[in-house]
Amino acid sequence: TPGSGQGVLNRKISVQSTGQDIRTILTLIEEQANVKFLYSSNLIGADRKVSYTVQRERLETVLNTILKPLQISYEVSGRQIILNRLSTSLILASLPLSLVKPTEPIDRTVTGLVTDQANGEALPGVSVVVKNSTRGTTTDGEGRYRLALPENEAALLVFSFVGYQSQEVEIGNRSVIDMALTVSDKTLNEVVVVGYGVQKKVNLTGAISIVDIKKQENAPVTNASQLLQGVEGVYVNQPGGQPGRDVATIRIRGVGTLNNNNPLVLVNGIEFPLENINPADVESISVLKDAASASIYGSRAANGVVLITTKGGKKDKFTVDYNYYTGNQYVNYLPDFVKDPIQFMQLRNQAQRNEGKPTVDYSDALIEEYKQGLLKDSNIYPNNDWLNIMFNPGNIQNHDIRFSAGSDKLTYALSLNYLTQTGVLRGTDSKRYALNYNTVATVNERLKIGAFINASYRDINEPVAGVANLMEMTFKAQAFYPTYLPDGRYANTFIRTPGHNVFRNPLALADEGKNNSTLQQILLNIFAEYKLPLNITYKLNGALNKADNLTNQFVPEVYTYQVKTGEAQLIPYDGQGNRGTRQTNSGALNTTLFNTLTWEGTIQKKHNLKLLAGYSLESFTNRNFFARNEGYLGNTLQELNAGSSNPAVGGTSSESRLQSFFGRLNYNFNERYLAEVNFRYDGSSRFAQGHQWGFFPSISLGWRINEENFMKNVAWVDELKLRASSGQLGNQNIDLFRYVNLVALGRDYPFGSTISSGAAVTAYNDPTITWETTTISNIGIDASLLQNKVTFTAEFFKKRTTNILSTVPIAGQIGALAGPIQNIGTVDNTGLEISAGFRHKINSFTINVSGGFTYVKNKVVDLKGSVIYSGRNIIKEGSPINSYFLINSIGIFQNQEEIKNSPFQNLNTKPGYLKYQDVNGDNVISESDRVIQGSNIPTLTYQFNVNLSYKRLSFSTFFQGVGKVFTYTENIGAMPFWFGTSVTKEWVTDAWTPQNTTAQLPIVTTFEGSQTENYRNSNFWLKNAAYLRMKNIQLSYDLPEKWVGKIGGKKAKLFINGQNLLTFTPLKGFDPEKNLNGTNFYEFPTVKTFTTGINVTF
Amino acid sequence: QNDLVVNPKDQYSETTFWVTQADALAGLSGCYNALFDCQSWFYETDMITANGLAYNATNGTDAIARGVHTPITDLITGRWIQAYRGVGRANTFLAKIGKINGMADELKNRTIGEAKFLRAFFYLGLVDCFGGVPLIVDEPNLATQATLPRNTKEEVVTQILKDLDEAIPVLPDTYSAGSDLGRITKGAALALKARVLLYNGRWADAATAAKTLIDRKTFTLFPHYRNLFLLANERNSEVIFNVEYQSPRFLHNLDYDSYLLNRPAPTRNLADVYLMTDGKPKEESPLYDPAKPFENRDPRLLQTIYPVDYKFNGRVTAANNVPTTGFGLKKYTNLTDNEAQPAPATNTGQINIIFIRYAEVLLTYAEAQNEAVGPDASVYDAINTLRKRASVNMPNLTTGLSQADMRTQIRRERRVELAFEGLYYSDIKRWKTAEIENNKPVLNYLNVVVGQRSFNKDRDYLWPIPSTQTQINPSLAQNPGWF
Repeated sequence: TPGSGQGVLNRKISVQSTGQDIRTILTLIEEQANVKFLYSSNLIGADRKVSYTVQRERLETVLNTILKPLQISYEVSGRQIILNRLSTSLILASLPLSLVKPTEPIDRTVTGLVTDQANGEALPGVSVVVKNSTRGTTTDGEGRYRLALPENEAALLVFSFVGYQSQEVEIGNRSVIDMALTVSDKTLNEVVVVGYGVQKKVNLTGAISIVDIKKQENAPVTNASQLLQGVEGVYVNQPGGQPGRDVATIRIRGVGTLNNNNPLVLVNGIEFPLENINPADVESISVLKDAASASIYGSRAANGVVLITTKGGKKDKFTVDYNYYTGNQYVNYLPDFVKDPIQFMQLRNQAQRNEGKPTVDYSDALIEEYKQGLLKDSNIYPNNDWLNIMFNPGNIQNHDIRFSAGSDKLTYALSLNYLTQTGVLRGTDSKRYALNYNTVATVNERLKIGAFINASYRDINEPVAGVANLMEMTFKAQAFYPTYLPDGRYANTFIRTPGHNVFRNPLALADEGKNNSTLQQILLNIFAEYKLPLNITYKLNGALNKADNLTNQFVPEVYTYQVKTGEAQLIPYDGQGNRGTRQTNSGALNTTLFNTLTWEGTIQKKHNLKLLAGYSLESFTNRNFFARNEGYLGNTLQELNAGSSNPAVGGTSSESRLQSFFGRLNYNFNERYLAEVNFRYDGSSRFAQGHQWGFFPSISLGWRINEENFMKNVAWVDELKLRASSGQLGNQNIDLFRYVNLVALGRDYPFGSTISSGAAVTAYNDPTITWETTTISNIGIDASLLQNKVTFTAEFFKKRTTNILSTVPIAGQIGALAGPIQNIGTVDNTGLEISAGFRHKINSFTINVSGGFTYVKNKVVDLKGSVIYSGRNIIKEGSPINSYFLINSIGIFQNQEEIKNSPFQNLNTKPGYLKYQDVNGDNVISESDRVIQGSNIPTLTYQFNVNLSYKRLSFSTFFQGVGKVFTYTENIGAMPFWFGTSVTKEWVTDAWTPQNTTAQLPIVTTFEGSQTENYRNSNFWLKNAAYLRMKNIQLSYDLPEKWVGKIGGKKAKLFINGQNLLTFTPLKGFDPEKNLNGTNFYEFPTVKTFTTGINVTF
Repeated sequence: QNDLVVNPKDQYSETTFWVTQADALAGLSGCYNALFDCQSWFYETDMITANGLAYNATNGTDAIARGVHTPITDLITGRWIQAYRGVGRANTFLAKIGKINGMADELKNRTIGEAKFLRAFFYLGLVDCFGGVPLIVDEPNLATQATLPRNTKEEVVTQILKDLDEAIPVLPDTYSAGSDLGRITKGAALALKARVLLYNGRWADAATAAKTLIDRKTFTLFPHYRNLFLLANERNSEVIFNVEYQSPRFLHNLDYDSYLLNRPAPTRNLADVYLMTDGKPKEESPLYDPAKPFENRDPRLLQTIYPVDYKFNGRVTAANNVPTTGFGLKKYTNLTDNEAQPAPATNTGQINIIFIRYAEVLLTYAEAQNEAVGPDASVYDAINTLRKRASVNMPNLTTGLSQADMRTQIRRERRVELAFEGLYYSDIKRWKTAEIENNKPVLNYLNVVVGQRSFNKDRDYLWPIPSTQTQINPSLAQNPGWF
């Protein structure tokens, strides 16, 4: 029975079928009428053949003509058309006699009620069929059915309904069979967003991970990058939880380049920064991992592509969704410092004695004075716990509200977001306001116009000298550093600690001055889609993507006052200069214009073809300027005009362009054998003429084994697919203008009172540079077994990057120029990804478990014989990119004798010092004894999810882990007394002493006093940062509809959520989920987050 | 295709630059600009000697002083890069200047002289520390220069002297335009030439070069020793070559480091070298009072350093103010003894750093002449001129000194006069006294040992070639004793 949606049914289509199956015809209609059929192949008998030809007929007429004789009913819902069997009674009534089997004697009836498992509501329209027969019915408006059965038939009943998982049940001799159906998220017609289009999931031939947005539903995801956590083949590292600056690092299938390794992120087809998307607006995320999927994005796709679509309106009733959560954040890890002031002073003195220093910094008299003073005067002799003072619970609150609706002509969705956070570190907070508006207008049968508007405004406050500086100064503040004088002024200690001579009172660093960033981003993305004759669709898409960041800093003039003498000392805001204002405005304007033509058709009923051709032109413009002024009378007026001296300005702009042609051919034979060919031809302004254009082709093949006839009877296999692909991708993401030798300005010099413009060549460039090319071969298998209870995917890939672009350091004697960027060699990433899932339901209890791991081996295979050294790292054939290149420490010297009999280490080497290995046998420890060891690229990453639900209650948790990865640790927190400052407690308990000769750590010394002995670059400081972390845990409860209805709502859910609650790691004292290139620990700490909230749908 | 041609908007390309006179002058300023990188060539090296103590050896200064440095110690790797950056810029300029049209020959020649002086200055910074280094006088070229081995020290010195000899005739004695102040003069080239010759033991030539400059009378001693380093007296009559600093863009941090961090911290070892006001060493003079060891001393002592209990910047110095040795350094702070000014903020110093001043030329002359012909009257004159500076006013040298006695007097005078001006480390190496002087303990104001100097005579007269360089260019041979 035709339902609503007359507009759809009035569309005119043509059909020409000489005995094709219904499935094929329906696909044809889908394309022409822009509708989507939803049906179960078995139920409607989709391989039944139909011969029917008609030209430009109304869809309604066509459907009636084709479907009615086959006893298939249809119902229009938006652009979806749901197909079902007509009920048995109808079948019997209306079928031509020839089509019906002779009726068997009817001896008994089965009745029952079919409900939705999730909420227990009755489900009308569910088809209930006796397996392998035409006998069946559908449930009525109350979800009840009645079915007549022949006697003694040992039959199975099949319950199926669009959007739900089919269920089979043995009838036995029961006469009442009730059934609860579960919503299915794996229907055959599920489509996946791919480059410049969509593809049915079952027909995918490339390696694409689809992010399960539901998994992190209601988690306090403050940054959309966090949504990618737990996706196979994707490594997400989130160092630090600073409000507004918590974007995670994303690596897809390892590190393929020495340059930017960030994937290309496109939102509704337009390149856009991930952190500017409101996580709540994300409808779907596809991660394109292999060349076959990504090569349509050519020169920017080598690091993988992340495709995001935002939520739009549905042809549905007006809906309002409101989500809210609030909670607190706590610091995850802080170093375990010696906090007692007396113990600290004694230990530091001991360290100086140990290293042979003739004097110590804290005299015995001072220590005695402090001991006494601690008991009497806490103003002069404080005992402060600075970590407690500076780190406090942070608060987080998030509101999302979405309005959506749609008609045949227009769909729209408007969402608003407000997120406010205070950081765990004093002096940090952030707010985000975001708006997302999606609308699509169907102007007529041929023309569709739509717009996506995304706007966000973020407001971030940080300490003016920076978070790293504040962290450092907090870690440097010993217990004897005071906070305030009794009168409220900032206090300073009377104790002088060389190395930390000037106390930057962390309270003043956090509370005084201003460092405010406001980041605005607007994406205007409009498209028009027009159906040309011959079933060709033309799409024009244009976008303006504008970013505008204003940083407004005010450096105050603040003094500390010595607790005894009252002597004032200016607090330096490191790197910020004098009191004054500095405002920087940086902006970017990226424009994209692309055109595509698509054609889709079926040739000789089984050859399904899709063609895409396109052209795009993108330009990227960056500009910035700054102004600075000094000479302020006080700290209150902070505008530029309130200053009076040393004004300064600066600014520049740059542009780059990318021009591309691309195309794709999809072919499938009967949805059984699949093939896809892609190409992109990219021209980039980042290279010299003659080296600008690159061609990136790919091919992929798929074989849906389950569609073969020999598999039809293997009931436990629902889906089994083999995939193979190969193709090429590019990387052009290097600095601009590295192909031409430039003369940089700004190397000025002041002669007398006149500043003379200075120019100099500062870098050597290579005009012949061109793309990096990454060739990825991928073999994959997808399986779905036992009524989709078990799913399994395995991928093996080899990713080879040739012509890899790297800055090649050159000998200093060549004018000390920065080395050129050159195409230096080849790097392989070979890997394996395996993921598996299991879901099962027993009565009201549902279990859903999934997990996976990715193993990637990174190896430099060819560097044209050269070796590239950079600091502690090395790039050498046979080893991972940027492996650590360090001296081996092989224990601790026990006595003078041992030192004498060992290769010469250093003049000051003493018992208790680290002993290094003389690798080259020249009897001296030198830089030539360095060996390659470890890498900061994780080889193994893994994750798993557990979701359990019982009736209205759901529980889920998500773990993420890294198998093995190395990080170099140095400075405060790692190396004792680094520049006069803190030491962790392990140096008290586990450092070498003449008595404790089996200690893990060498004898305690200060960093400055043994920098070239214990603290020289060696693998002693290289630590394994492997970890397993419970990223998320959540409990939620769906409120009964009756209650929700009373407040006018449809659905409501309450939840509590915890993040980063558990971590297992060998790394001591610090969070392993750190920036792995970083060596110190001044980054904003990661946080534990507890939130609670509600979702309501009206 | 045209869509893909985008040119930089704030840089010139090498093919389009180097056309006009303005381009050339900007290129030359770029050479001068490289001097800013060479701040550590200044008094930083005094902290490798017994003159000063560097408590915080961020860059390895103290490691070198203690003999525990390595071929990747920052001060060492840094010097190589700083010098070759300057050399490279000067080489580029000298390769391009010929093509500039519409530039008067006189100006063109002068700029060539300036660039050659700078190239010589940068090369001197290399040979003084490393010995022979690759001698490159063409513009940077990856293909031809990447694997060049070290030349001998003599070859490099020959080039330095050649550059200076070519610069001297084309450079002016002074610059009249205010916008040219601070440029290289004939006197600077002569003075640097004298220094190079002195460092290489070419006594007669060194004396001649110094004498030539003295006789030109372009420069005179500034009357006040302390004040010649104050901001108000920049580019005074004694300054031959300095690096120009100017607020707000061209700043250093010397005053902050010195006043607030006590770095450099002068030592008792240095203080003890200053003569008593009667012209005798403290060991011999009746004026010396061990209870008041800094009284009745050569006034340059308290014009250079301030000990605990002495007034500086309007406050009586407490031990806590100068925790490293009990001494603070006055030079290159703009603070005075009695007037209290706010403590310097970070990175606000703008006093020009003097690399060559007239006093050094007098000392060079005295030393070279004494070595070449012995202590003649002109040697006495040179030293006595220094001692008669108004604010110093020390007695004349006693007459009748032997050549060896005169040598001792000149060396003491040189150490005192030029303390913390970046020359003493070079001096003790060329005098071959480092193996004695730099193997002694370092004392604080109370004569307490606060540090140790260590110098291996078989190794430490030269710094190691940075291993960052030997690994990129394996044809660079390492210095003896280094691996």
